[in-house]
Amino acid sequence: MEDKFDCIVIGGGVAGLAAAMTLARNNMKFLLIERGEFAGAKNVSGGVLWGSDLAKLVPNYWEEEDGGWERFINHRRLTFMDKQSTFSLDFKSKHFNETPYSGVVVLRSKFDNWLSGKVQEAIDASDFAMDSFIATNIKVDEVLMENSKAVGIKTGEDEFHADSIIIAEGVNNLLTRQVGLQDKYVPADHMLTGIKEIIRFDQHVLEDRFQLNGLSGMSNEFVGWATDGVEGGGFLYTNRDTISLGLVVGIKDMREKKRSPHDLLNHFKQHPTVADAIKGGEVVEYSAHVVSSGDSRVMPKELYKDGILIAGEAANLLMNAGKAIQGMDYAMRSGILAAETIVKAKAKNDFTSATLKEYRIAMDDSYVMKDIKNFQDAVHLLHTDTMQNKVPNLVCDFGRQFFTIKNEPTPKSEKMLLGAIKRHSSLWELLQLGFKARKSL
Amino acid sequence: MSSILTYIAISDGKIKRSSLEVLSRSKAIADAQGLSCEAVIIDQIASSYTDSVQKYGASKIYTVEDPIFDQHRNTPLLSALSKVMETAQPKVVAFASTEGTKDILGALAANKTAGVVADVSSFDVSSSGVTAKRPVMAAKVVGNVEVSGNPILVSVRSGSYDLVESPTTAEVVSIGFTMSRDELKAKLREIISATGDTIDLNEAESIVAAGRGVKDGEAKNLISELASVLNAGIGASRALTEAGVYDPSLQIGQTGKVVSPQLYIAIGISGAIQHVAGMANSKVIVAINKDPDAPIFEVADYGIVGDLYKVLPPFIEELKKIKG
Amino acid sequence: MVPDVAAPFQIKEGELIMDADRMVLNAYDASAVEEALVLKEKHGGEVEVVCIGPAKASETIRKALAMGADKGIHISTSGDEGFDSASYASILSSFFGDKEFDILSLGKQSQDTDSGLTGSMVAEKLNLPYATNAVGLEIEGNNLVVKRQGDSGQEMIELPTPCAVTCSNDMNEPRIPNLKGIMASKRKPIDVVELSSLGISEEDLSPASKVISYEQKPARQAGKKFEGEADEIAREVAQLLDTEANVI
Ligand SMILES: Cc1cc2nc3c(=O)[nH]c(=O)nc-3n(C[C@H](O)[C@H](O)[C@H](O)COP(=O)(O)OP(=O)(O)OC[C@H]3O[C@@H](n4cnc5c(N)ncnc54)[C@H](O)[C@@H]3O)c2cc1C
Ligand SMILES: Cc1cc2nc3c(=O)[nH]c(=O)nc-3n(C[C@H](O)[C@H](O)[C@H](O)COP(=O)(O)OP(=O)(O)OC[C@H]3O[C@@H](n4cnc5c(N)ncnc54)[C@H](O)[C@@H]3O)c2cc1C
Ligand SMILES: Nc1ncnc2c1ncn2[C@@H]1O[C@H](COP(=O)(O)O)[C@@H](O)[C@H]1O
Repeated sequence: MEDKFDCIVIGGGVAGLAAAMTLARNNMKFLLIERGEFAGAKNVSGGVLWGSDLAKLVPNYWEEEDGGWERFINHRRLTFMDKQSTFSLDFKSKHFNETPYSGVVVLRSKFDNWLSGKVQEAIDASDFAMDSFIATNIKVDEVLMENSKAVGIKTGEDEFHADSIIIAEGVNNLLTRQVGLQDKYVPADHMLTGIKEIIRFDQHVLEDRFQLNGLSGMSNEFVGWATDGVEGGGFLYTNRDTISLGLVVGIKDMREKKRSPHDLLNHFKQHPTVADAIKGGEVVEYSAHVVSSGDSRVMPKELYKDGILIAGEAANLLMNAGKAIQGMDYAMRSGILAAETIVKAKAKNDFTSATLKEYRIAMDDSYVMKDIKNFQDAVHLLHTDTMQNKVPNLVCDFGRQFFTIKNEPTPKSEKMLLGAIKRHSSLWELLQLGFKARKSL
Repeated sequence: MSSILTYIAISDGKIKRSSLEVLSRSKAIADAQGLSCEAVIIDQIASSYTDSVQKYGASKIYTVEDPIFDQHRNTPLLSALSKVMETAQPKVVAFASTEGTKDILGALAANKTAGVVADVSSFDVSSSGVTAKRPVMAAKVVGNVEVSGNPILVSVRSGSYDLVESPTTAEVVSIGFTMSRDELKAKLREIISATGDTIDLNEAESIVAAGRGVKDGEAKNLISELASVLNAGIGASRALTEAGVYDPSLQIGQTGKVVSPQLYIAIGISGAIQHVAGMANSKVIVAINKDPDAPIFEVADYGIVGDLYKVLPPFIEELKKIKG
Repeated sequence: MVPDVAAPFQIKEGELIMDADRMVLNAYDASAVEEALVLKEKHGGEVEVVCIGPAKASETIRKALAMGADKGIHISTSGDEGFDSASYASILSSFFGDKEFDILSLGKQSQDTDSGLTGSMVAEKLNLPYATNAVGLEIEGNNLVVKRQGDSGQEMIELPTPCAVTCSNDMNEPRIPNLKGIMASKRKPIDVVELSSLGISEEDLSPASKVISYEQKPARQAGKKFEGEADEIAREVAQLLDTEANVI
């Protein structure tokens, strides 16, 4: 059949684009389908793309004059917050200034579009310059199955055939469910929602305020008062001349506490520390998007099936263990590994599970599945009331005493700490927490 | 003395107020720059409008009369304007930005190799040319434009300038012009006029504008009732003109008309940038929408969050009381 | 081809800077293409699209080809000449000067600048009968019958071909290319014509109107929002319009 592709990639997010780039570089004939008007049009999220896989896809991307990224991270901060105070762990290192960077901040509507341009360049340079496509503004309605093997896709009235399908459709994984790899129903407590504002500053103001130098940037995560008791946390990332400020909160918990995302974000912005950080900025964009919880219990039953691979958040690949949200890097790595598996399958001309299971093996071997497995308990721990409320309050209480200098005798810090612990928790509870944390981290 | 020439648009037997606004501006510029303020009227009975025009300061009025001007046609209008410009030799020709103007402005500029800037919200004349402000990017931004050329054509959005009377006695110059219908390459077959008695949106003091939220006859009746209480013109969003609920000539926005009334009441309109582009310069904006997050509230002075079916009846009743 | 007016941008020292360099097919041109395709489906013929611009313009042409146009012509420029409508009109008229066509169809305005000049300029330069702001097109024999939107009503105008027309987006709902269309578009030809090969004089190209700076439109402050019992807030606002805003 003339029109048959080696692979059809569904979704032009990070996972799909990473897969497409890998396919193009390996001279595969493929089709990437994105339902947004352009790659990135529907991807409101944004934040830090951790790790250095981007350099694998676009070597020396940092040398591009107008690349798709905003700033590289050389300054990280984890902030505990109570109503009035913040207590931060702050780390900045010149070490992070070296390329390839270990984290870059991106704005997805720009980044995805840029990366898709790079994929097009790779297609143009491949043997299938005329036969591989990036098609936008097209929604895949269905994965076509024959004898429980995927054979193509359907969009509107049209059907297109391929030896394999990479499903990289993101968190609302309808097609993953359609092919039976994910349960039809995922309970709401396994879903989070991310809300984000982009706030614009004069570039000099931004650079001064956050001590940015050249294209260096800062990432800041927040726990505690940020979410007003709702399970979740906050973040602030610096872009070229804007910041991304937002929260990721549990949908079920938020509903139970009768809060709306917008109203929680406003709460967060009223904290004195945050208010200082965003003073004088202008909100230029507001967006909300579902994020998976990274709970391995809601991962698809399997990552492959005859003719099918699942990559990125469609497979619930995500980690949110407090110090960072990792979704894009997981998406990128899984997209690359999925495409590499297709390349092998093509060489053997076998697209059944027999070959495609190598994707699972490669994933299990990678940091993605290892981290997900190893830090599962940490994820659960983070979502306990102790970590969400008591610890931040305690830390800030201690901080307030520790840093307050009065013209009075100062108690020993140990006493201050014990006092703070008693007021917000108990030694026993912390011991338990510490024990769990040691195990889970 | 070089001159600034203002084109006076006539429609349905009336001078378009927006052309008098432009004339008022031209007069001010003429006085400041030492130019002569002139006007041109092209109509089958052009000379009958000269009295009203000299009230706004035109010291010379060119008239072109011919039966061919009974309806808008671009070819005769172009050649008549071209002929007047040959006689008048103006430095600047100013137009109100009506559909009729939009139809010919580019062609006239090409014909005269003139500089041109369309749809400005303000303009001025200097020794080197014309400077103007014009909304761009769906009216989200203002561009400062400099135009050179001899002459320079400018078209101005309605509502950009106030009417300022400055009575003069004008010299009326009639320019001979004939064109037979057979000479026209394009044939005007028929005019499908909107109901004649509707208020011209460009001139309306108040506008009641309906959007997709206006779903049925009942809501349409409420709109009409509100408009009649306020003696307002009725406008519509593209959602409704497209659906045939209101006449396309009532569309307000980037594709439709740009209006700037004293009072604009947007009912069941979400406030897409392309709609807002056409009404953001209204003095007072009221929005009625059941969605509290509708973007229209970002431009509204008074935002009523509620179902129009429930809000409009008491709103109309209260207004009736006020009107007494 | 116009910048996406929905994309975020900022103004820095009088310059308009788009956050993303995203160009889209002008909505009014999309309607022109759509209508041409409909006419072609009814009456046969060929639909060719012409776009003037830098390399990126080919993406825009490709979009029209994906909709169903047969052939693209890319008149290639550097993209930073600051051309105005008159420059584009000079280019288009010199390109079409020696070409044969029945209908030259343009958009009634550019979505970013809303100038609305190019169409009638080209018509005048090529001495073609024309109509602007078309909301409907029909072919009858050798004539194009245009329904155009005037200030207070619509006019039906009969133009002998060849003629020019500028299209409103109220004319139709442009089709969104389907996957087959997108795939087919890749095999359709795009001829690249160097601007210099058209031999247009410097004078005709150089823009007479220049945007020297941009400024933020003084933003309208959002006013008061009234929520609650419909009856109460309706009456309250009505009162305020009278007593506070003085517009009744
Ligand atoms: C507010 C917020 C902040 C975040 N911050 C971070 C962060 O700092 N760091 C980080 O690493 N991660 C972060 N994440 C998570 C990260 O955004 C996701 O994990 C990542 O986008 C997943 O990539 P993906 O390619 O799998 O899916 P997506 O990026 O969601 O892409 C899926 C694509 O598929 C398309 N699609 C879906 N269905 C179809 C269909 N039927 N047909 C055609 N196309 C289809 C969609 O339009 C979309 O473009 C954040 C998320 C949110 C919401
Ligand atoms: C190039 C271009 C040019 C355009 N030009 C124009 C133009 O000139 N003019 C124009 O208007 N549009 C124009 N548009 C279209 C524009 O983008 C929007 O699609 C259009 O304005 C939407 O109309 P709407 O607000 O009536 O409908 P919608 O966006 O559907 O909004 C309907 C609103 O009604 C509210 N509503 C529904 N029911 C009720 C109720 N019972 N009570 C109260 N509220 C209710 C809803 O909450 C909603 O906010 C243009 C688009 C493009 C691309
Ligand atoms: N670069 C260009 N390439 C092709 N056509 C153009 C170009 N610029 C303007 N036009 C045509 O002119 C119309 C817009 O005119 P204007 O509003 O004067 O810019 C568009 O709808 C196109 O039909």
